[in-house]
Amino acid sequence: MKLLIVDDSSVVRRAIERDLESGEITEVDQAATGEDAVRLYGAKLHDVVTLDITMPGMDGLTCLDKIIEINPEARVLIISALRDKATAIDAIKRGASGFLCKPINPSELKEAFDLLIED
Amino acid sequence: MNDQDIQVFISGIRRYFESLRKDLKVVIEPPFIKEDEKPFLEYTGIIGISGKTRGAVCFTANGVMLENILRFLNEAPINGELICDLVGEIANTLSGNAREEFGRDFLISVPVVSTGGEVRFRFPKECRNYVIPIIWQTEKAYLLVCLT
Repeated sequence: MKLLIVDDSSVVRRAIERDLESGEITEVDQAATGEDAVRLYGAKLHDVVTLDITMPGMDGLTCLDKIIEINPEARVLIISALRDKATAIDAIKRGASGFLCKPINPSELKEAFDLLIED
Repeated sequence: MNDQDIQVFISGIRRYFESLRKDLKVVIEPPFIKEDEKPFLEYTGIIGISGKTRGAVCFTANGVMLENILRFLNEAPINGELICDLVGEIANTLSGNAREEFGRDFLISVPVVSTGGEVRFRFPKECRNYVIPIIWQTEKAYLLVCLT
C-alpha cells in the first residue's frame, strides 16, 4: 500500500509516518506543498493521502480538488488545525474521505486510517 | 476580544499539551494585557489573522521547552530547523483550533518564525495584547493574542 503524507511541517509529516507504520504500508512519500503533492499523486496514485489545509502556495482544499480530478476514487484524509465544522463539511463535499483535527491523536489517526483502507 | 475569546485559546493550549502526554499537566497562569513591549522568547511562531478579525497569534518559547516537546514526539537528532518548524506548527495549531469559536472567517496565514527574541511583524495598532503564560515541565512559554 502506498501512502502520501502532505503537510508543510516536517515534524508533523514524520509523526504521521511513525503513527501509521505498519506492515500494510509498503511505500511512503512526503510532500511539503500542494503542488508537489499533486505531482506525486499523479505519478503514483497512492492508496491513501493525508492532507493538511493551511500550506504555503496551493492550499490543501485546492490540492484536494486536483487529486479528485485525477482520481475521483482517491482516499484522502484531511488532517488540519482548522477546527470549524464548515471547513470539515466543505472538505467532505469536495471529496475527502475523512477529517481529523490537530493536534494529532495517534489512536484516532490509526482508527481513521484503518477505516479508510477497509473501504 | 473578551474573556470567552481568550478561553478558546486556553482550551487549545490544554488540548495541545495533553496530546503530548496526558499525565504531564500544563499550567496556564492568569492571562494579562500588556500594552507596551511583547514578551518574546528565543523562538516565536507568528500567525497573521485576517477576515472579520485582524491581528496575530504568536506562540513564543525558549529552546529547552521546544526540544522537550520534540523528544516527546520521538524526534532525533534535534536541530534548529526542527525547532523552528515546531514553534510554527504549534502557533498554527492553536490559531486554527480557535476557528471552532470564531468560525471560517477567522483566516489564518502560514506560520512565520522569528528567533532570538526579535519579531518583525506589523501588529495592528488598535489591538490589545493578551498574554497567556504557559508552564510545562518547569519551562515557560507565552501565547500572545493580538486581535482587533
